[in-house]
Amino acid sequence: MDLSSILNPAIIDLSVEGTTKDEVLRNLAQVLLRNGYIDDVEQFVSDIYEREAEGPTGMGEGISIPHGKSTAAKKIGIAIGRTVNPIRWESSMEDDGWQESTLVFLFCVFVDTEFASNHLMLLSQLAGKLGNEARLARLHQCQTPDEIIAAILAEDEELESVDSKEEIMDLDLDF
Amino acid sequence: MKILAVTACTAGIAHTYIVAEKIQKAAEELGHQCKVETQGSAGVQNELTAADIKDADVIIFSHDIAIRGTDRFEGKRIVDVPISLAMKQPKSLIATIEKKLAAK
Repeated sequence: MDLSSILNPAIIDLSVEGTTKDEVLRNLAQVLLRNGYIDDVEQFVSDIYEREAEGPTGMGEGISIPHGKSTAAKKIGIAIGRTVNPIRWESSMEDDGWQESTLVFLFCVFVDTEFASNHLMLLSQLAGKLGNEARLARLHQCQTPDEIIAAILAEDEELESVDSKEEIMDLDLDF
Repeated sequence: MKILAVTACTAGIAHTYIVAEKIQKAAEELGHQCKVETQGSAGVQNELTAADIKDADVIIFSHDIAIRGTDRFEGKRIVDVPISLAMKQPKSLIATIEKKLAAK
């Protein structure tokens, strides 16, 4: 199955205007609307906020991954935006609960997912790729939509090894 | 160590898969074998088999919603953590488990 159905240069915008999370979400939703991925910006953004209310989608490294299932979604895809301004975003990585994001991966998924198992499989593979710190570092260097797509699709071995920034500490685990 | 993990987040779209990758990477970086089952919108992927479970030293549940099929793990050592912990400190998670198991 063709990955371009999810990774489409037409829904990658490397100069998203706005100074707030709301403006950026709406601007990226407009990109999805123009390309036939959604049919209602207000409904889509409201569904994204419903998921946002359940927990932070900032994943560190200046990257956010807002997502959610929406009745306004018509196709499964990921809109990718680099913001002109750093955007304050709820984060699961920072002690104060906030980070500044410049790369936003806006997942577009419809509600009735039973008929989309192939697409969801691809989407899950692509999401997993964002768990690799070296890939995140490379994504920040990309200058064109095609470079973004290449960085996401690159095999782990093709990525420069980046030392994990995590400092190992003892956690309070009970088992 | 042979580490197994199961991940599941509320929407089942992003964190389930990102955290699976982070746990896998952290475990390998620290010299352990690892297999991670994801329970998300794409269904159950990379399912843990009876043979996997039999050989495992420890099983990590990293989740915000209930894990399905927990009866498979009866009698095994389970480390139960929220998704956010494995998202933020995957290496510390593995290292702490290693340290505590060594002390047992």
